[in-house]
Amino acid sequence: MHATIQKPMNEIIDNLKAGEKVFVVGCGNCAAKCHSGGEPETKEMAERLRRRGVTVTGCACTDNGVSLCKLAIVKKMLNETYKAETEQADSFLILACGQGIHTVMDATEGGAVHAGCDTIFGGETVNDDYITEYCSLCGECIVEKTGGLCPVTLCAKGLLNGPCGGAINGKCEVDRNRDCGWQLIYDRLRELGRLDEMAEYITPKNNSKWSRPRSLSMSGSKATFKSLAGEHTVSNVD
Amino acid sequence: MSKLKEKLEKGQFVITGEIGPPKGVNLEKCLNDAETLRDYVTAINVTDQQSAVLRIGSMAVAARLVQRGLEPVYQLTCRDRNRLALQSDLLSAWALDIQNVLCITGDHPTLGDHKEAKPVYDLDSVQLLHVAKGLNQGYDMADHELDSSPDFFLGAVVTPGLDPVEPQVIKMKKKIDAGCRFFQTQAVYSPEKFEDFANKTRSFGVPVIAGVVILKSAAMAKYMNENVAGISVPDSLISEMADTPKEDRKKKAVEVTARIIRQVKPLCQGVHIMPLGWDELVPQIIKEAELS
Ligand code: SF4
Ligand code: SF4
Repeated sequence: MHATIQKPMNEIIDNLKAGEKVFVVGCGNCAAKCHSGGEPETKEMAERLRRRGVTVTGCACTDNGVSLCKLAIVKKMLNETYKAETEQADSFLILACGQGIHTVMDATEGGAVHAGCDTIFGGETVNDDYITEYCSLCGECIVEKTGGLCPVTLCAKGLLNGPCGGAINGKCEVDRNRDCGWQLIYDRLRELGRLDEMAEYITPKNNSKWSRPRSLSMSGSKATFKSLAGEHTVSNVD
Repeated sequence: MSKLKEKLEKGQFVITGEIGPPKGVNLEKCLNDAETLRDYVTAINVTDQQSAVLRIGSMAVAARLVQRGLEPVYQLTCRDRNRLALQSDLLSAWALDIQNVLCITGDHPTLGDHKEAKPVYDLDSVQLLHVAKGLNQGYDMADHELDSSPDFFLGAVVTPGLDPVEPQVIKMKKKIDAGCRFFQTQAVYSPEKFEDFANKTRSFGVPVIAGVVILKSAAMAKYMNENVAGISVPDSLISEMADTPKEDRKKKAVEVTARIIRQVKPLCQGVHIMPLGWDELVPQIIKEAELS
């Protein structure tokens, strides 16, 4: 899930030119779960803009559970279902993550866009009211060696070989209310009786796998990951 | 050759000191601080933007110590440099006759005065040691041969007072495997706790230099207990400081610091004295600790 949070209203308004006609787009999946751009927030945003004197030609949100970052669906939604409204608009205000923003650009063949949200992280939906980050999408997963907990993400410094000396009572030096990632890893490995794994040297990350932009292509049972580390193809069957 | 290395390898007890580079370009004060230590210490640590507060670089100040015939321990953190910069800085340091390097993680930028800085940590301290060892052996971390190589004496830090201490001990072992030849510790105030740590790590066979920060007041002790990781000043010591009239504080500081040094001396191979401005007390401390 891509966590997003709405930009402040004055920033959204400041980004619109005088007289600019806007169509508001939301996402029925992640942004809906974040309450930043589901159907109710999308409709509400249209009203909030109108109350501030902005001309809103209409608004649309993908169906409940359907992501805005699916190009085929967005094409149909904007170019067929809401054709009349989108044709009148000068631009799209997107209440979704950066992937959603680009999907709208692709769907509208380069339509003008405004980001209505800040995209903040990829996270686990722990419950309806709480999402938190456990992975930084580094392209080379090492949690096999850390009891399933990611030090790249849970340690404020992304240290791979054990804790710095900054934790007090298991809380991180950057914020004494936040768990030290390495304390969590240590506790977990000890619980599992696998503390010996903490003694293994973990080599520096291959940051070229973390280079952006990256892509993934699927062909039958094969998938190819492309990054500055090159192309890497795997087969998902024997 | 590094005198620190020579002494530690011979099993001799060493005293090291520390100076903090200034926020600006005038090195007079910090070089004077170094001069007051000249006759008492084997080497002087130069901190690398300590607490993530912008300062002149540790390499420049370490090089100025070399010029004066003082031996620096060049502190190098992983906070601000990627692997290219770390390796290049190491080679540059060697070209400036800096031989001792302390490889450290570095405080997070949010603790300092540039809170919006991008934290780098491309390598961690264990990986940095590995890389520095590789440079010593004539190779960069991409396995390319250097046309000539340094011969650094590599050190690292450990915090013996953390609870639990086991993750620190595990990491200490990793640092040794990565090429660490000496350790400096966070300030020690409880010789009992330190003894426990010394017992756990004695078999590693790598010299440990115990950190000693001059205790100035009960308030400082309380502050450190709450805010500095791995420091626990015992209550008895706090009351001892609190019961001392203000005019006798320096005398008390000398007495307490010398006593701690005498207690930890049999458990380690040196002391790293961090005077925090009370540099003038160092000679007396060394005398009362029976180190001179
Ligand atoms: S190691 Fe990389 S891929 Fe694995 S959880 Fe951490 S950031 Fe994600
Ligand atoms: S205190 Fe723990 S989580 Fe925070 S930077 Fe240090 S090792 Fe990482």
